[in-house]
Amino acid sequence: MFTALLLGLVAFVAQSEYALGTSLLSRPIVTGLFTGIIMGDVKAGVILGATLELAFIGSFSVGAAIPPDVVTGGILGTAFAISSGGGAETALLLGLPIATLVLVLKNLYLGFVLPVLSHKADKYAEQGDARAVGRMHLIGGLGLSLMLGLVVTISYYTGSDAIKQVLDAIPTPIQTGLQIATGLIPALGFAMLARLLINKQVVPYFFLGFLIVAYLDISITGIALLGGILAYIIVNLTQKPQVATYDGGGSDYDDEDF
Amino acid sequence: MMTKISKENNIEKTNTKVTRKDLNRIFWRSFQMEFSWNYERQMNLAYTYALIPLLEKLYKKREDLSNALKRHLEFFNTTPHIVTMMLGVSAAMEEQNAENPDFDEGSINTVKASLMGPLAGLGDSFFWGTLRLIATGIGTSLALKGNVLGPILFILVFNIPHIAIRYFLTSAGYKMGTGFLQRLQEKGMMSKLTLGASILGLMVIGGMSASMIDITIPATIGSGDSATAIQDILDGIMPKLLPLGAFAIVYWLLGKGIKATTILLGIALVGILGTWIGIFA
Repeated sequence: MFTALLLGLVAFVAQSEYALGTSLLSRPIVTGLFTGIIMGDVKAGVILGATLELAFIGSFSVGAAIPPDVVTGGILGTAFAISSGGGAETALLLGLPIATLVLVLKNLYLGFVLPVLSHKADKYAEQGDARAVGRMHLIGGLGLSLMLGLVVTISYYTGSDAIKQVLDAIPTPIQTGLQIATGLIPALGFAMLARLLINKQVVPYFFLGFLIVAYLDISITGIALLGGILAYIIVNLTQKPQVATYDGGGSDYDDEDF
Repeated sequence: MMTKISKENNIEKTNTKVTRKDLNRIFWRSFQMEFSWNYERQMNLAYTYALIPLLEKLYKKREDLSNALKRHLEFFNTTPHIVTMMLGVSAAMEEQNAENPDFDEGSINTVKASLMGPLAGLGDSFFWGTLRLIATGIGTSLALKGNVLGPILFILVFNIPHIAIRYFLTSAGYKMGTGFLQRLQEKGMMSKLTLGASILGLMVIGGMSASMIDITIPATIGSGDSATAIQDILDGIMPKLLPLGAFAIVYWLLGKGIKATTILLGIALVGILGTWIGIFA
């Protein structure tokens, strides 16, 4: 039980890398070291951690995609491999499915719990209560660290099958359905932001950006560069009178490099 | 102006200057940028959190503070390690806004929206693509031999440049923001900026809507050889038709004054029901 608690603590701290500058503390190569220390076999922990690190190398978040959960996958994979005396393949065999299953839980949290806190923050902002807005942020972050810590503690305590059983108990349509819903949720964020910027004059540019990506599949950086050039052209075209009164200096047009 | 540490003992009148101390607080708070990351508005809570001490200092009137908090609670996402650059720019703009009643508040968010994409493009490729891979290479090669230095070097190789860059960008962003704003005011170019930034911002939001809203209908109609995936038909009309439709529906619902939380629940229900009757899977 004590080991389970300590492993949970490692998960809690690892997930809290997101409060510590996204400093990669949650990566298996780091958690492997600490798991090894707790399990009494530092060398095995470091080696297993490195193996899992390479297995999870593609698993990091860019943009809106959340990868399988390396915190629980890394710690539990390493811990079960050491406790069962298995090698790297045991760590991989257990770590990868755990990471994928816990992603379901994590998605629920990121897709439904945190947005609710975010909406509460909107209300506090309305009242001008800055402290309460900050509190929503902290509660949201700590909640997830706590959740992953508990998952690790409980899973280690009850054995590797337990977590799989709990997650399997959720009916498949609900699991898949929520997974699909997380793909739709960004629409809400984008629509709220668009509502803020849109006026009649600039509506077409939303569609232009959308269509260029839809048909040509270029990156967001590409869109931003195109958008910058276009903005420069349009501003100069539509605001001609100001160009006429422009009296040298040249720096007028430097706004695009900002 | 920013290196001059203002003497904090002038108690009279509101203090509307951003000091080195304010920027340092922003720097430290920026470490939490992904702590409250969420699917709906991503880094919105953390971005606001980083600015709270400054906003409280700049805006003494409850209404002004409320507006400032609300605008930063909108969608935001970029590479977390370089977010201080955006925070610095925002700090400069908020400072301007607090001093100048004619300042266009909306421009604070348009600038955020138009810069976050390009910055993320740069930051993601450098931090995730380059620096992380170097750290992983060095770390794992040692760790696979059981050497404890592996994980330690992994952390150091990534974080020493990371923290240095994060720190440097805080004041660089602020300087860029103030310099840029001064030039803007001199030449009366605010309307140009607002238009340009809206164009750029909306193109980026449009692009992100196409690439990040993820919904397809893999179900088929007909049977045997004549079976056709509905998604193929939709793609024939226009790629990404469903994400555009999803965006349009949500946009319309927001316009009707439907609460965001209600829409969120609706999305969950659509996902579950759609899967249950077999449209989505």
